[in-house]
Amino acid sequence: MSENVIELKGIQKVYKTGDEDTAALAGLDLNVRRGEFVAVMGPSGSGKSTLMNIMGLLDRPTAGSYMLAGQDVSRLSVGKRAAIRNKEIGFVFQQFNLLPRTTVRENVLLPTIYGKDKQAAQRVDRIIDEVGLSDRSKYRSNQLSGGQIQRVAIARALVMEPSIILADEPTGNLDTKKSQEIMNLLKDINAKGATIVLITHEESVAAYADRVIRLIDGVIAGTEAAS
Amino acid sequence: MKAITIIKQSFKAIFANKGRSFLTTLGIVIGIGSVIALMALGAGVKTTISSRISTLGTKNLIIRSGGGLSQNAASAHMGGGASGAPGPTAQEGIGGGSTSTLTTADLATVRDKKKNPYVKMAVGTVSGSAILTTTAGDNRFSITGTEPDHFKIQNYSIGKGAFFSQTDVDNRAKVIVLGSQAATDLFGSKAAVGRDLTISEAVYKVVGVLKKVDESGFTNPNNQAYIPYTAAFDSFQVEKFSGMTALVTDENRVNDAKASIQKTLLANHGIKDKKLADFNVNSSADLLSTVSSITGIMTSLLSGIAAISLLVGGIGIMNIMLVSVTERTREIGLRKAVGAKTGDILGQFVVEAVLLTLTGGLLGIGLGYGIATAAGKMLGFAPAVTPNAIMLAVGVSSIVGLVFGIYPAAKAARLDPIDALRYE
Repeated sequence: MSENVIELKGIQKVYKTGDEDTAALAGLDLNVRRGEFVAVMGPSGSGKSTLMNIMGLLDRPTAGSYMLAGQDVSRLSVGKRAAIRNKEIGFVFQQFNLLPRTTVRENVLLPTIYGKDKQAAQRVDRIIDEVGLSDRSKYRSNQLSGGQIQRVAIARALVMEPSIILADEPTGNLDTKKSQEIMNLLKDINAKGATIVLITHEESVAAYADRVIRLIDGVIAGTEAAS
Repeated sequence: MKAITIIKQSFKAIFANKGRSFLTTLGIVIGIGSVIALMALGAGVKTTISSRISTLGTKNLIIRSGGGLSQNAASAHMGGGASGAPGPTAQEGIGGGSTSTLTTADLATVRDKKKNPYVKMAVGTVSGSAILTTTAGDNRFSITGTEPDHFKIQNYSIGKGAFFSQTDVDNRAKVIVLGSQAATDLFGSKAAVGRDLTISEAVYKVVGVLKKVDESGFTNPNNQAYIPYTAAFDSFQVEKFSGMTALVTDENRVNDAKASIQKTLLANHGIKDKKLADFNVNSSADLLSTVSSITGIMTSLLSGIAAISLLVGGIGIMNIMLVSVTERTREIGLRKAVGAKTGDILGQFVVEAVLLTLTGGLLGIGLGYGIATAAGKMLGFAPAVTPNAIMLAVGVSSIVGLVFGIYPAAKAARLDPIDALRYE
């Protein structure tokens, strides 16, 4: 049996808009096992992004507990959350993933500036090779295609060897062929042991995951194993 | 490692917007440049004036009439015109309306051994000027009416002909001794001695030409002409001296001599309060300290004004840093997402602002040095860019960056990563 990397219990997130309280997440439970590839789906307003922000420690839940890699991270200070984001979480965003005017290698190295892991910088060339960009490591971000940009973002997410990779619509700006390439890359990485939580609204993208979670109105409406 | 990376990134950010960065730092460049230039010029002027004052002679006392000649009235009916006082301060020449107060009787009492035991020699001087025709056209020459002892006190030696004599003074003789440059200007290579010059409708005979001497004080004796003071009284239609020069017996007695001369003249003029004196007595040390304090005040005043441009430059830096923070909101969001702490972002933008102002400061030092050197060449003295001025410039520009960079940097550091990542 494999341990849980993520354990979310009774997670609530309430936003105050004027006099009204809006619950983006209404008591959500979710476990993600080590090495699992989970896709989160749902219509807009279902709480996908809020869930992503809470899992990524960019935001704090109003209520509920969050265990990340065996550590309670529900109520941490801004600084501690930054340190855990650096060490335990790798982000792949839909857009604006890279620093402008900066080389592939420097972009991948970005998290190492803010971390204590001295070995991280030595992994960079191997990881750039893994995502298939070793011949482009000196290229600047504005010289890269959309697919290549996402590869750099994946490499950056891997460099600190985090417990979990959070990918928020990573193929949102790509055409079908490029999307497939990126999803295959994520699948490869997952096969090598990385835990991935992917947010998407495309069934074809979600199909790469081991498990698909459907969110509606801030609660999990259904879970299904992918074919 | 981290610090170096942050500095590298900051340089990259600055160079990414070369044109904007340059324009932004221009305020600092100009501010630091003008402070450096003014300080260097101030120091240069001070050194030059100081060295000239020291050539006045440490044993000389310079006594000047409280105000100087009323040259407006004098020049009106004189043609040649008596202009200014001989003293080192130009204000008397500008002021006008003040009068000579030193009489021949005053001179006699200054020379009185009983009253002024430490005065070895003293002469009265009358300063005026006249337009004389040179080989290259008309030119205004400074003319000093004095006595033969003047040449001894000033250590002038005669090149051709002779000094005029005490008899010439007594006879109100229209004779003139020329400085070496004045002689060359007036007569070219031809012999000057024996020629005639017309000053205020009187014909003067050239009796001597001085050997070339080093410039001293604030006048160049080589360009001057000297006549008996009695003749000067006649030609310039004055009856009093504009100044006196006294030679003190011993360097250590300069202050004693100064005190006794002051006492004598106050008694002569019936003035009880020293502050109301219508003359002043200065040694070269007095002049030196006056000049130091004047140049010091001028330098700090002008530098202070120049420093205002630093303030304006700093505000420019703050402004552009705020723009930069807004433009790079998503970069900040991304950095925070991958683990940058508040302090990391704060540090990054402060370093950027300091690098901007520091670069501006260094360019400003170069600019200031250039201006000071060029101005020094034109004005004929050596400006001095001191290590202190450079350290001050580096320090001040860094502090400007720190002070004006901290607000934009804090704004960047406080950004919420979620909002920053979503920023359009």
